[in-house]
Amino acid sequence: MTQSKRTRVAVLFGGRSVEHEISVITALQLMQAIDPAVYDVTPVYIAPSGTWHTGPQLLNRSFYAKVPGNLGTLQEVTLLPKPGTRGLTKLSDSSIIPIDVFLPAFHGQYGEDGCIQGLFEMADVPYTGSNVVSSAMTMNKYACKIFLKEHGIPVLPAQLIARSDAQHDIKGVVERVLATEGYSLPLFVKPCNLGSSIGVSKVKEVSELAPALAKVFRFDTHALVEPCVNDIMEINCSVRDYEGIHTSVVEIPVSQSGVLSYEEKYLRGGGKKSGPSAGMASLTRVIDPQDLDPEMKSSVIDLAKRSFTALGCSGVARLDFIVDLATGKLYFNELNAFPGSCSFYLWVRSNPRVLYTTLIHNMIESALKHHATAASLDRNIGLKALRS
Amino acid sequence: MLAKLITITLIAAILLFTWRRTLSYLRYFQQEEYNTTRFIAWIKSNRAYDTRGSLILLLALIAHLIFPGSGASLVIALASAVLLLFIANVLEGDPRTTGKIRLNMTQRATKTAWVAYGMLALVGLIPLWGSCCSCSHGSPPLTLTATCGILMAQLTPVALMLATRILSPVERSLQDYYYNDAKRILADLNPFVIGITGSYGKTGAKAALGDLLTQTLGSTFWPKKSINTVMGITRTIRETMRPHHKYAVIEMGAYNIGSIKRLCDFTPPKAALVTAVGIMHLERFGSPENVYKAKSEIAQALPEDGILVCNGDSPNARRMAQEHKRATTLLYGFDLTKGHLDCFATDITYDESGTSFVIHYKGERYPGRTPLLGRPALSNALGAFTMACALGAEPAFAVACLGNLPPVDNRLVLDKGATVSYLRDAYNSNPTGFEAALDVLKNLPATRRILITPGMIELGDQQYDENKRLARLAASICDLVYVVGTTNREAIVAGLSEADFPRSKTIIADSRDEAFQLLGEQSAAGDLVLIENDLGDLHEGKVRF
Repeated sequence: MTQSKRTRVAVLFGGRSVEHEISVITALQLMQAIDPAVYDVTPVYIAPSGTWHTGPQLLNRSFYAKVPGNLGTLQEVTLLPKPGTRGLTKLSDSSIIPIDVFLPAFHGQYGEDGCIQGLFEMADVPYTGSNVVSSAMTMNKYACKIFLKEHGIPVLPAQLIARSDAQHDIKGVVERVLATEGYSLPLFVKPCNLGSSIGVSKVKEVSELAPALAKVFRFDTHALVEPCVNDIMEINCSVRDYEGIHTSVVEIPVSQSGVLSYEEKYLRGGGKKSGPSAGMASLTRVIDPQDLDPEMKSSVIDLAKRSFTALGCSGVARLDFIVDLATGKLYFNELNAFPGSCSFYLWVRSNPRVLYTTLIHNMIESALKHHATAASLDRNIGLKALRS
Repeated sequence: MLAKLITITLIAAILLFTWRRTLSYLRYFQQEEYNTTRFIAWIKSNRAYDTRGSLILLLALIAHLIFPGSGASLVIALASAVLLLFIANVLEGDPRTTGKIRLNMTQRATKTAWVAYGMLALVGLIPLWGSCCSCSHGSPPLTLTATCGILMAQLTPVALMLATRILSPVERSLQDYYYNDAKRILADLNPFVIGITGSYGKTGAKAALGDLLTQTLGSTFWPKKSINTVMGITRTIRETMRPHHKYAVIEMGAYNIGSIKRLCDFTPPKAALVTAVGIMHLERFGSPENVYKAKSEIAQALPEDGILVCNGDSPNARRMAQEHKRATTLLYGFDLTKGHLDCFATDITYDESGTSFVIHYKGERYPGRTPLLGRPALSNALGAFTMACALGAEPAFAVACLGNLPPVDNRLVLDKGATVSYLRDAYNSNPTGFEAALDVLKNLPATRRILITPGMIELGDQQYDENKRLARLAASICDLVYVVGTTNREAIVAGLSEADFPRSKTIIADSRDEAFQLLGEQSAAGDLVLIENDLGDLHEGKVRF
């Protein structure tokens, strides 16, 4: 295959998110796995400040230890929201680096929540993963719950609290939460729009509720309050779309005590800034557990497929479910539109086995297909109203 | 030919040595804020004159005078060159990358270094020029080379001071430009400015207030760390102030009478928080009355409808609230015996995860917690709370937000280790802070309580007594005390022995590093170590050139 026939892929990572570093790790792994005979990779690093940079140095992990001091050695680029540009624009001389498809490898805000997807849509370029609405919906935990509930997927109840309400009358907010049926202590308080363990707390006493809400409001304008399920088992499953919807094997993150508590799932690392992906990577897990009730396993797979489809997701996602061990009930917990490490460790254990290289290849093919479909839609009905 | 080569090598070595030395002195000059008077005082008190370079060159000079032109003098000259390079590159280390407070190569530092070095290099190149003009020998004379080298080594600090003098017009016009630019930005964005001052606690109070306002009322600008000078604030405003900032919390440092007034002219405050008016920096002011006058400039700068919040536990801060009453004047604190308090805290307890308290404000009780430790931190939190409420924050929500206050580096922060835990209180110690830190040390669980401290400075004629007093208090709490450096050694040791603290448990160390090394050999599981104050290289008295 000649050089010019390779598909030019821009892998975008980093970004203005608390999970910035996890995204860098995911992207480096991904660029290692991508097939160089088929794809010509352009790494695009979005610095924490939001500036976009490209250069071969970005392939070395050691480069990131010296950011931002060494950003000057890179080429600063941007994506203009102008259809037909078909590439990245260098800020130095406005010349174009041609790109055929964009692969956003972000975790969290601005990259996994529909923001960058909106820019891709404006620029009319193919991109991998979920679209604007699906990304935004999965990032907003409350919207996602309500939406899936409507589709018959079991979810844990939650109350949405706005920061402005708390700022004006925290006493009233606390009283209202506690007066609601089913919301007895302990309660679980978390940010509505962050995909990381930051700002999460378990409230055991009434006096802790207001500080827990205040903690969320450092990071988010909305907080979720959920009744706390004490003994839980978590079951995760990855779903992807490529010529149909496919599910991976399931995994059970386990703790040393055998039962995974909410604290262990969310409060690992004592609230330091370890994102969930770091948590996921460092967590002991059982992949494809043989002793899991087959009925439970098939329920998870069924719910995963239905949720993925209902939300209109694309690419590779990971869905996290929890089982209330006291009642044996299964609940949808969250959907990661772009999971850490692209969940490849689940796909290589699945049947049929999917290698990371194939996973990326299929994601890109899906992206090109989605773009072609969108392009075939008639958007131009002409300018009539203004001409009459 | 060989002689010429060796002499040129020596000149090159001297030039390299001088460059490194210029930077080494510059580090301390920078720490003294390019203040010539203070720099000279530091050099004198530390006898920070060059000895190594001059001694080596003196030997080369003597050798050359005794055996002129012989092989032996050449060998010694060559050895001198090698030694100079060794000292510069290995022994003394690069001040930009080593040491407790590193040389920060700002634009000003770079300019100063190059101008000073340029002058020194001219002296260093005299021998070459001499040899070219006379041309008779063809080789620069060794005596002249060594003499010039000694001159350079001795004159390095002088060259630096001269360089700042030469650069001062340039520096001033640049500073004027930045100042006006920052003033324009401030006028454009027009945030509500709250000034903070105090003999101590102002940096902690600034962080607490900045954080609390962001949580309760809206986006707030505040220069991080202890930035509190016109130049520092100018820079931060130009770099980080944005249109979304509704409030700006500005720490105002009083370095002498008039410095707060200058800051108030620069960023006119509509509200002010005064954390304490004490005896810190007494040496700079002369008398406690002058300290009061200097701090009062912030209250005088407030408009009639402004907000003045003062720490009622500090008699002079209380006096300021009386003498400069504004539309809203509030007092906060712990000690109701000193008079009325609008906001106060009771039921204070510490544990490893922070401090619990009940705040009383406008007749209501607000129980709360903060991850911060110690009374000074809680006092800052109270001040921030009072100010936030005066600005319109809902008290119950503000108390909840106190639970999220981030710790300020090195201000009584607990670092829990697997075996040994540390209480870091290494920032500018003062009597109130020291006492509070000992109180926390006493109240947290530990098998042994250990104190590492060089004592407190800048307390004028009370320095000896205050250090002695706190050493006596430490004796009743600690199992081991490491006395760092020489500055307050006498006072601390005297205090400890007066309280019958065993001599065997008093450990003398010349530097913080040495103290930690000794501690490392002694420490055991369950130890809680309080690191009280860190004087920086300027006061550790181990500088040897």
